[in-house]
Amino acid sequence: MKISDMISMCFKNLWRRKGRTFLTVIGVIIGCCAIIVMISLGLGMNAAMDAMLANWGDLNAVTIYSGRNMYGDGGSSDQPVLNDDALMSLKAIEHVETAFPKIQVSGEYITLSAGKNDRYKASWMEVYGVDFETLKKMNYEIDKGTFPEGTDTSNAVIFGAEAAYQFRDTKKRDGGYVWKEMLPDGTYRQPWIDPMTDTIKLSVNNTKKQNDDGSYQSGGRGYEHKLTCSAVLMQDPNWETVYSVMIDIGLAKQIINDYNRLNGVKNSKEIEYSQIKLWVDDIDNVDAVQEAVEAMGFSASSMAQMRKEMQGQLMIIQLVLGGLAAISLLVAAIGIANTMIMSIYERTREIGIMKVLGCFISNIRIMFLMEAGMIGLLGGGIGVLISYIISFFMNKFGSGLMSSMLGTDGSTPISIIPLWLVLLALIFSSFIGLISGFYPANRAVKISALEAIKNE
Amino acid sequence: MLPAEFAKAPQAFVYKTVTKATPFLKNDYSFQNMWNSSIGDDIIVYMKKLQTGSVCLPFIEVRGLRKIYRLGSEKVVALNRIDLAIEKGEICCILGTSGSGKSTLLNMLAGLEKPTKGDIIINGVNIAKLNEKKLAKFRQENTGFVFQSYNLLTTLTAVENVAMPLMFKGIPKQKREKAAKKMLKAVGLEKRMKHHPNQMSGGQQQRVGIARAFVAHPNVIFADEPTGNLDTKTTIEVMELMVKMCRKHDLTLILVTHDPEIAVYADRIVHLIDGKIDSDKKNVSVVPVPTDDETTAVVTENKIDLKKE
Repeated sequence: MKISDMISMCFKNLWRRKGRTFLTVIGVIIGCCAIIVMISLGLGMNAAMDAMLANWGDLNAVTIYSGRNMYGDGGSSDQPVLNDDALMSLKAIEHVETAFPKIQVSGEYITLSAGKNDRYKASWMEVYGVDFETLKKMNYEIDKGTFPEGTDTSNAVIFGAEAAYQFRDTKKRDGGYVWKEMLPDGTYRQPWIDPMTDTIKLSVNNTKKQNDDGSYQSGGRGYEHKLTCSAVLMQDPNWETVYSVMIDIGLAKQIINDYNRLNGVKNSKEIEYSQIKLWVDDIDNVDAVQEAVEAMGFSASSMAQMRKEMQGQLMIIQLVLGGLAAISLLVAAIGIANTMIMSIYERTREIGIMKVLGCFISNIRIMFLMEAGMIGLLGGGIGVLISYIISFFMNKFGSGLMSSMLGTDGSTPISIIPLWLVLLALIFSSFIGLISGFYPANRAVKISALEAIKNE
Repeated sequence: MLPAEFAKAPQAFVYKTVTKATPFLKNDYSFQNMWNSSIGDDIIVYMKKLQTGSVCLPFIEVRGLRKIYRLGSEKVVALNRIDLAIEKGEICCILGTSGSGKSTLLNMLAGLEKPTKGDIIINGVNIAKLNEKKLAKFRQENTGFVFQSYNLLTTLTAVENVAMPLMFKGIPKQKREKAAKKMLKAVGLEKRMKHHPNQMSGGQQQRVGIARAFVAHPNVIFADEPTGNLDTKTTIEVMELMVKMCRKHDLTLILVTHDPEIAVYADRIVHLIDGKIDSDKKNVSVVPVPTDDETTAVVTENKIDLKKE
C-alpha cells in the first residue's frame, strides 16, 4: 500500500468521525496549551530574572575582595595576598577577559579641595586607584568628558555621578553642604564645584595637625597633587561609583606610601589591591571562573551565584507548573486511546474485509498509528496557535504585574515562546498520539478476519 | 508408498511419487514451491491425465485436510480427511447444509484459517505453511472474494470499493480507479460509480462486490453464498455474471452454497456432510451461460493495463 493512500485513508477516517475527532483534539489542545504556556512562563521568569540581575550588576563579573581592611588587618590569615602576582594568576584563568584591580585609598588619608584658597573641600572622599586602560573596557558610561588618554594619566581623575556634591563650602557657617535636590524651577541644585573646569587638589593628610572644623591639615609641599578631571560618570546601576572618584593606580600607591611616611606608620607589607574584578567572556562560564578563583583561596562573589540560586527556585516552580500541565496532556493521551479503541470496535468489519482482500497487517497498524498521531499533531498545531494568542494577551496585560513583582522595568515579556518550544510541542504531541495509538493499533491488527466478515 | 489419505483421490487424477532428485515435468508450475509439501523426501502430487497422455498438476490441491475446533474441553471435528483436486478454470460448487463444514473449507482454501492437519496447495504454493504476511501477499495476487453480505466499505464509493484490492497492491490512484471504472462499467453500474453502498440495491451492491473480486485479475474466486441475500431474478443475474467472467478468463471459481439451485451453474458439485466429502460428482446438466465479449473482455484488458507498470 502506498503511503499516500494510507494518509488519505487516515484523513478520511478522521473526517468521518469528525465530532469525536474534534473532541479528542480539543483534549490534546488543552494539554498542549497548558504545557507550552507553563514553559513559556518559566522562560519569561528566567528572562525577567536575568534582566533584574543585570540591573543589579554585571552578570559576567566575578569580584574578589581582599578580605582585609585598609590597614591590612582582618580577613582570614590564610587567604593569599591580592598583590600583582595574584593579579597575574587570576588573569591567567581560562575564560577571563579582563582583570580590573582597584586600590582603595582611605578617606582618612587624603583631602580633596578646589577653588580659591581651597574654599571647597571634601574630606573622607572615597578614592579608588584604578588602571585607566582597563577602565575603558568596563561598562561605565560617561556623562561628560572622555576617559583619560595619553601616556601620562597620573594626574587624571574621574568623578562619580554625584561625587562633586561631597565638596562643601568652608566659608559657610552651616557647614556648606549641598545635596542633589530638586529646585522649585524643576532643575537640580548644582554642586559648589564643576569638576570639569575646576582644578582639583589632592593633599595627603597630616593627622597630627587638625583644622578648627576637625579636618586634617595638608602634609604640605610634596604631598599635594593637582588633578584634572577628565570625565564624570553616569550613575551606575549598582551605585558603585556614584559618590567616589577614581585616580591612577600608581598615584594611589604613592599616596599611601606618602601618608605612611608622613604620619610615621610602620607598614612593611606591600600594598594590596582592595578588590579585583574579573570579566568573563560568557555568562555561562562565570561559575567555572568563580570556582577556579575560590580554589586559589580567594573569596569571590558574582551575580552568577545568585542567579543560580534563583534559577533553582524558579526550576521548582516550573516543575510544579509543568507537572500540572503534563497531567492534562496525560488525560488527553488517554482520550486518544479511548477514541481509537471505540473506532476499532466500529470498524471491526471493515478491518476484517481489508485483511481478507489482502491488506498487510503492517499497513493496518500504520494506518491506526497514523490516525492517533494525526490527532496528536492536530492538537499540537492548534495548541501552538492558541498558546501564541494566550501568550500575546498575557504579555499585553500581565507584564505590569510581573515587573512590579520582580522589580524590572516591564520590558521583559511575561511569557516567551521560542521556536524550539513550538517544535518540541509538535513533536511531543504527535509522539503522545503515537504512544496512545499503539495499544489500539495492536488490537486492530489482532482482529480475526473471519469473525469480522461473518454473516450476521 | 502412498499414505492412506490419498486412497480416495478423484478418478480424473493419477498419483505420482517423486523424490527431490527426480527430473520433473516442464510446465507452468514452479516446483520449487512443491518442496513445501514434501512428505519426507517424497513429493506426492496429483496429476491430471491429459488427452495427449501426458499429465499436469491440478490448480488447487487439498490433501488430508483436517480441522478440529476446541470448545472448552470438547473437540469438534469440523473437517475430516478432505482430499480435493481442482483444476484451473473449473467451477466447483461446495454444497452442504449449515454446519457441514463448507464455510470452514472455504476459509482454509482462502488462507483465512489454518488447518489442524494437512496441506493446501494453490498454484504450487502450500498456503497452510505461509505466514501472515505471505498469506496477505498471496491473497492480493491470487484471490478474489464475493460475500453473501457484500462486505463493501460503507464509507467508500463504488469506485473506491472496487479499487481497494489494487490499493493494497500499491497501484497508484489514477491507474487503479481507471481499472475500477472499467470493471464497474462491465458489470453494468456505470451510473453508480460515485454512489455509496447504502445508496444501492442488494443486486447492485453484489455487482460492485463482483467487480471488486475480479479487478485484480485473480486466479481463483471464492464466493460464499453470493446470492444468499438476493431475490430469484437478481440471483440469476449475479450468477450468470460471475460464471461468465470465470469462463471467459479460465478462472477457477469455488462456490459455497446450501442451495442446490445455485449448484447447477458449477461443473462439479462436492457434497459435504458433517465435515466429510459425501459425494464428488461432475455436474452433467450445467446451466449454459452466454459469454458476452463486451462484459468479460475487461478482466484481460485490466490485466494488461496494470502489468504495464
